[in-house]
Amino acid sequence: MRADPSGHAAKNSAKATALAICIGILTITAGLVPAHAAPDEDDCKGPTDDCVAVGRWNFSVALGAGVRTNPLVNGKAIPLVVIPQFSYYAKRFFIDNLDLGVTLADSATNTLNLIATPGYDRVYFYRTDLQNLFVGFPISGENVVASRPFLVSAGTPGAIKVPRPAPRITYLGGAEWTFKYAGVSGQLDLLRDITGQNNGDEIRAALGIPLIRSTGTWSANIGFTWKSARLVNYYYGVPAIYAGSSALDPFVKLGYTVPLAGKWRFEAFAEYERLANAIADSPVVSEHHVETVFVGAIRTF
Amino acid sequence: MSRLFLWARFALSRATLGELGRLCVFATLMMVAKERAEAAAGDDIRLELHPRICTLSARDKQCESRVQAKWQAPRQESLCLVIVDRPEIKRCWENYSEGVYSIELVFAEDVVFQLKDPELQHVLASEALRVIREAVRYRHKRREPWNIFD
Repeated sequence: MRADPSGHAAKNSAKATALAICIGILTITAGLVPAHAAPDEDDCKGPTDDCVAVGRWNFSVALGAGVRTNPLVNGKAIPLVVIPQFSYYAKRFFIDNLDLGVTLADSATNTLNLIATPGYDRVYFYRTDLQNLFVGFPISGENVVASRPFLVSAGTPGAIKVPRPAPRITYLGGAEWTFKYAGVSGQLDLLRDITGQNNGDEIRAALGIPLIRSTGTWSANIGFTWKSARLVNYYYGVPAIYAGSSALDPFVKLGYTVPLAGKWRFEAFAEYERLANAIADSPVVSEHHVETVFVGAIRTF
Repeated sequence: MSRLFLWARFALSRATLGELGRLCVFATLMMVAKERAEAAAGDDIRLELHPRICTLSARDKQCESRVQAKWQAPRQESLCLVIVDRPEIKRCWENYSEGVYSIELVFAEDVVFQLKDPELQHVLASEALRVIREAVRYRHKRREPWNIFD
């Protein structure tokens, strides 16, 4: 099995702290950006890519072929075949799949929300995790990982059986700042476990950048997820064997979408996420990265 | 030309200015009486639509409905039912005191039904099928470049 890279842990921790400070500054800056105390609906006159009707449910389903790799030892890839999506927006409150939120301030360019969102990493451990329903339709109730304990390798001399972590469903709560400027959309979530399972912190940040717009649209998304040591250890730590530090996982996604007839649109994307050493070095993890690809069509209702 | 000129001179010489004035007053009274008679006839004719209102939800772009227009008059009338801005739709009756007309309509704006005289010169009765759009407010959708489908 792999040793605990304490040197990496210290470096990662320092990086993460610096990152958290930067993001905190960004957040404060966001707070200084003029924003209305109440949601501003003046520039939303109808249903567009940016605007949605208040008080109505929105449903869509993606049908296609895709897969998300599973970095866990003996982890089975998560199929992306039928992907239902739903949302509901009240004047301030919203439901966005499994996320709940309240909009505190909103303008044409900036939005500040308080949100609650599921802890993400559990999707690798349980096929039945609800988030897998909204990422890829579960084929059966089986777990994403094999039921047997993790092994570095069955034939490795001196290999130690590692008990399989069994993370529970958690919810993270916190502030979310989103913005749109010159076609670029941004998202920054500062989150903390609010279910008392690990009391860890997580930061999600990303930019959505339109690249080419013709009949269809090419776009690139770049971002990262930062996880505190507590959160990393809740999912990837093994008592008395491995304790990770905080982790910074960057990702990049390239996507293409084009409207089809009626309420259909074609969608394809490929995403690559690099897992930090603090996660990849865990004995329950065998891959240093997660890839996601999907090609299909989305129907809105 | 010369004949016409001579006739005009003859007419002017016979008619005094007072006579001309009386003639004008008489003609005006006749026109007013005719219009009032037409209006009175129109008031007696009742036109009813069913349905009278179509409510569009936020998701609907247009109404699709079978509309029934029913008219009644205290005496027999000859008239035509038309829809404003839809010249292809016209249903006429000759010497009837009532009539019913049903039609399948697709519309996004108010539809005005009119009963007119057979020459389509005068409106005898009018009724509108109103389109009411549900008031929908919009707000910004959440931006989620971090999420898988965004």
